[in-house]
Amino acid sequence: MKSLMVLLVCAVLSVTACGAASDAATFSGPAKEIAVTIANGTVTPPPARVEVAKGQQVKISVTSDVADEAHVHGFDKSASLQPGTVATIEFVADQDGLFEVETHESELQLFQLVVQ
Amino acid sequence: MLLTEGVGGQFLTQGVDGQFLAQGVGGQFLAQGVGERLLAHGVGGRQDLPIPFSAAVSGAAIALLVSFAALGFLWREPRLAGIPSYVTRNTTWLRPAIGIVIAAYFAIGLLFGPDTPDNPTAGAFYVLFWVGLVPLSLVFGPVWRNFNPLRTLHRAACALLRRDPDHGWKTLSPRVGYWPATAGLLAFVWLELVAPDRATLPVITIWLTLYALTTLTGAAIFGSQWFDKGDAFEAYSTLIGSLSPISRQITQPTRPPGRPAAKSPQDKSPRGKSPHGISPQGKSRRRDSHPPAQTKPRNSAAKATESPAHTKLTLRNPLDGMAGLAHAPGLPALVIVLLGSTMYDSLSNAPLWVRFVQESRLPAPLMGTFGLLTVIALVLALFLAATTWAARLGSAAPATTAGELAHSLVPIAVGYLVAHYFTLFLFEGQHTLALLSDPLDTGANWLGTANWTLQSLGATPASIAMLQVTVIVIGHVLGTVLAHDRALTLFPHRTAVIGQIPLMALMVIYTVVGLLLLFAG
Repeated sequence: MKSLMVLLVCAVLSVTACGAASDAATFSGPAKEIAVTIANGTVTPPPARVEVAKGQQVKISVTSDVADEAHVHGFDKSASLQPGTVATIEFVADQDGLFEVETHESELQLFQLVVQ
Repeated sequence: MLLTEGVGGQFLTQGVDGQFLAQGVGGQFLAQGVGERLLAHGVGGRQDLPIPFSAAVSGAAIALLVSFAALGFLWREPRLAGIPSYVTRNTTWLRPAIGIVIAAYFAIGLLFGPDTPDNPTAGAFYVLFWVGLVPLSLVFGPVWRNFNPLRTLHRAACALLRRDPDHGWKTLSPRVGYWPATAGLLAFVWLELVAPDRATLPVITIWLTLYALTTLTGAAIFGSQWFDKGDAFEAYSTLIGSLSPISRQITQPTRPPGRPAAKSPQDKSPRGKSPHGISPQGKSRRRDSHPPAQTKPRNSAAKATESPAHTKLTLRNPLDGMAGLAHAPGLPALVIVLLGSTMYDSLSNAPLWVRFVQESRLPAPLMGTFGLLTVIALVLALFLAATTWAARLGSAAPATTAGELAHSLVPIAVGYLVAHYFTLFLFEGQHTLALLSDPLDTGANWLGTANWTLQSLGATPASIAMLQVTVIVIGHVLGTVLAHDRALTLFPHRTAVIGQIPLMALMVIYTVVGLLLLFAG
């Protein structure tokens, strides 16, 4: 059992040692377009994880039936939502990780953006 | 789980090495800033694992099964001696004074600071204190009792009133056990994971006020022993501190007849009260966890060993320490609240749960409360089912089996806590330390940390993901060892191995579910 733990610890250490030198990948592909509609307090499509590549352009279109504000965490991008009008948020996903996209007034999560 | 909006989030993502901060599917934490919500994200997730996630899960299950088989063949007698934790009686004022100074500093931001994301209070409470107690206790043992400002206040009040702090107006029934701490812990995890606006000052102030009033009332009625199992944070530190490698040995040359050599002066070790006590081989470890025996020997022993000259620090096997955690009523519930709440925290970030909550139309706090209690109830039901089944197979009493095996869940809970909160502690901890220099948000730099930038400290998403899997597996393997060793004393020899099969199944289920939740998505 001790040797098992030693093995596990070694595995962790070796990963730590070689994992530090990862570079920011550049991505040259089409932009990822994500459209979300909020009606009656319901998000369509329902919240899920959306994966994009690191460096990819992301274009989020949000249509809400009430005035609100949409916000992408981590990238700190916001757009004010007017009833019935499409609001768009565009940015380059240049940090990897998991980021929540949500509205501030109604406190709805629209989706989670996974950048890798 | 908690806090940071706006500036907090920016800080996380714009620090030095901002390339990979604020990311990962692993230990995210939900934030409830001033009127707003945010995920401040952990680093490291399923996609970061250098091996496929399915391989990690099956590897973890195989590691458990192999260790179970190996234990069955190689570990046929109980070996764990049950060495109690190193607990100092409050003989000096140094540590209590440090606790009071830190609490007073914390109170500056809490009472006089602005209610903005730049206030360090939420980070200091949820990250530095709550999460920080894990590594602190893991290394040094149940230390919170030495710093606990409420214990010090009680002691000071008793000194002023010329009362004995150890004795209140009533004697605490041993049947109360850890139940008050369990209730307190449940209240805390509800605050941390469910309460609306939980990172705002009014909410934290109300909670802390209620907590302090309840705890001090308990201490006033029952004396300082109320803190031992009534204070949620002391009990939390005691649980985790049982895995600390440090203990103390009493080196009194002459001791009254019948007193075991390694007797602890505190009430966490009924095993130490057994006439057979703790023999160095641990062979005579008994299951005599009868709480009524606790009160009297505890106090006399405390008096007898008041002088630190009679004790010395020694190293112990953390498993011996864990086996030395005395069973008391409510112990299984306490451990399971800790484990279940961490699992709920993982679950609440999963899109499946988010969808469920948003589509339910019920208020989010109500759904959160429901989710938290459901997860805890499921973890509890699984544990009770496994221990009852084990008791039946091993021909032991089901009622005592659950209590006797509760300690084996502690390393599992600690594994989850470390896996879940590692990135939060690493990054939000740095952020909070920077904010702590300026609790009133006046541009001050009292501690010299105000200009700290976020350091990655060598952590990468891949290494963090690997660490998460590793600590979870280690926690479960240690849990298996503890359960095995205890089963050898609980069950008759011929049924000892078969009686553990339900426990083995329980550990495998906890591992797989835990990994799935931690890397949910």
